[in-house]
Amino acid sequence: MTDDDRVFKALADPTRRFLLDRLFMRDGRTLTELESELEMTRFGVMKHLRILEDAGLVVTRRQGREKLHFLNPMPIRLIHDRWIDKYRERQVSALLDLKTQLEESA
Amino acid sequence: MTTATTTTTQVYQLFIRATPEQVWDAITKPEFTTRYFYASRVELADGRRRAYGPDGELWGDSAILEEDPPHRLVHEWQGLYDPELAAEETSRVTWEIEPQGDGVTKLTLVHDRLEGAPKTAASVAGGWMFVLSGLKTLLETGETLT
Repeated sequence: MTDDDRVFKALADPTRRFLLDRLFMRDGRTLTELESELEMTRFGVMKHLRILEDAGLVVTRRQGREKLHFLNPMPIRLIHDRWIDKYRERQVSALLDLKTQLEESA
Repeated sequence: MTTATTTTTQVYQLFIRATPEQVWDAITKPEFTTRYFYASRVELADGRRRAYGPDGELWGDSAILEEDPPHRLVHEWQGLYDPELAAEETSRVTWEIEPQGDGVTKLTLVHDRLEGAPKTAASVAGGWMFVLSGLKTLLETGETLT
């Protein structure tokens, strides 16, 4: 599996997207904090966090005795730069072509 | 970013097909930083990390707290390129460079101690993503992002 595959797979789940949104709102949370916001067992939340970590979307760091989870926006940004920008450019140029054609035929 | 976050620590991590030495050079030498870091010249000298804008204006002048090439660089951060940011308290940037094997290097950037610098925190959030994405592209393809 490539890095991009792992990111897309990690994002293809509503619970994992929810966890990312929670971290987006407030970063650097413990497992206990994240668990308290989900109707799910601790084991279930850990499993989802592990998949997010493997995809690089979540990075954990030790702070004192606590393990904090941080949202890492880089994988999404890199996908944006590599994929989304490319297609957006194409769309814009297609619209420009259409405009030119319409204006020429007018 | 659409919502203002109250985060005082920001973490950015990415994998780059390059050696730790190449990553170190790219973040510490002006001939590289001018190509991806908002065209700024970054120089480490006399225990300071200084950054100059394209016209030579001083964009940053902060103390280096740790310098261990090609593994770890820790320095203070204060954005002199904007008076509002310059007025805020000093924050801290940590670069961690770890070899992953197969010619891949993991780069982690932690920007913390942002408690007294909310405007800086909001400003650098998009900035670091742009800079790090550009750094990866430069090292992997030799090209700059447009």
